[in-house]
Amino acid sequence: MSCLSASTSGEAFINGHNCISESDSVKKEIGISPQETSVAENLTVRENLEFIASVYGFDKDKIKSRTAEIIQLFSMQEVENARAKTLSGGWKRKLSIAMALISEPKVLFLDEPTLGLDVLARRELWTAIESLKGKITIILTTHYMEEAERLSDKIAIMIDGNISAVGTLADIEKIAGKKGLENSFVEIAERSRKNV
Amino acid sequence: MFKIKAFAIRNIKELSRDPLSYIFCLGFPIVMLIIMTLVNNSIPQEAGMTIYRIDNLAGGIAVFGQTFIMLFTALNITKDRSSAFLVRMYASPMKSIDFIGGYILPMVITAIIQSLISFIISFIIAIINDFDVSLSGFLLAVATLIPSAVMFIGLGLLFGTLFNDKSAPGICSIIISLSSFLGSIFFPADSTGGVLLKICKALPFYYCTKSARSAIALEFGFDEFILPLIIVTVCGIAVTIISAVVFRTRMKADLS
Repeated sequence: MSCLSASTSGEAFINGHNCISESDSVKKEIGISPQETSVAENLTVRENLEFIASVYGFDKDKIKSRTAEIIQLFSMQEVENARAKTLSGGWKRKLSIAMALISEPKVLFLDEPTLGLDVLARRELWTAIESLKGKITIILTTHYMEEAERLSDKIAIMIDGNISAVGTLADIEKIAGKKGLENSFVEIAERSRKNV
Repeated sequence: MFKIKAFAIRNIKELSRDPLSYIFCLGFPIVMLIIMTLVNNSIPQEAGMTIYRIDNLAGGIAVFGQTFIMLFTALNITKDRSSAFLVRMYASPMKSIDFIGGYILPMVITAIIQSLISFIISFIIAIINDFDVSLSGFLLAVATLIPSAVMFIGLGLLFGTLFNDKSAPGICSIIISLSSFLGSIFFPADSTGGVLLKICKALPFYYCTKSARSAIALEFGFDEFILPLIIVTVCGIAVTIISAVVFRTRMKADLS
């Protein structure tokens, strides 16, 4: 769906655009923050944001205003002139998500955004992600059940590359017959593996 | 075009803020110019050895400097690939031509600046050593070396695309050694003859040095200048096209 790999079968659409045959249109509608921190290390926070905005063809005024908006949204004023390589893991992840958001995507892909972060940095990032809810669609992959429980409106449980269950937390608990996402996940995973 | 410009500006900023780029792209050629001039001054005139004389040395060292531009281009690409920066950019509207243009343009600018500085130092050395050289010859050599720069940058793009951050520098080191030995940079290939000269003439590096030296000497004969320049230009275009095709193929493979 993020146009980073070919489909094995079937089709996927984002805002009516086919992810394979209309990838150019899809790429204009999505933002992605990969699992590994993928920022330009020798550029400052502001320059990283301006760079991505210019790749999407924003004019000078739009680049300036959008960068200011994003810096404000993620409270990055204190590090805006710091080079990315000098940032802590938490700030780098924030920058990575901010870079994915600056192009005003309709769909944002976050691949394990809090992996390897300490508790405080994780909580801060959760708050930032929660602030985006209701504004754009976020597809977030995670191994942390607590994270999925707190941030998601809808959860899809993927076992061995297949979606085994999808729905709200209440739906998932109902399907599994267990309380809590972790217990439900384990139950659904065991059932799926028995059925293979 | 705006995507190439944006990516090129990012690469220029990354390059200009990396101390290694100054050491490799500027420091090393300048140090070699000074050391080889000292070597030249230590050789008795009766030996008749002119390879390290500044009019010969300047063109050779300028080509030698470009081999480090190749290394730096490869390092730049492998760094982006290993840090997953390219994965992010693959998901943006950038196409392979934007990446290729964005990588090549800053390195061409760097190569021109490198040649200019290298020839300015050479000119100063010539004045200090009371050797008569033409400033216009040096300036012309800067332009003459652009196709050579494109060829080395193309090779850097190729190695950076095909190999990872550990193996690409090794491959580039082989090319750096090959070009310095077989490019007539540190020994006069024309005075050797036999198989060695044939090997030198079979590789493009010899022609890079020859065209630069001819430009410095303001010799524009067909064999001395025109033919070597044509060979280097054809090789530069061919290597760039091959590296662009390989990059595009690799990008498609990464996305499948």
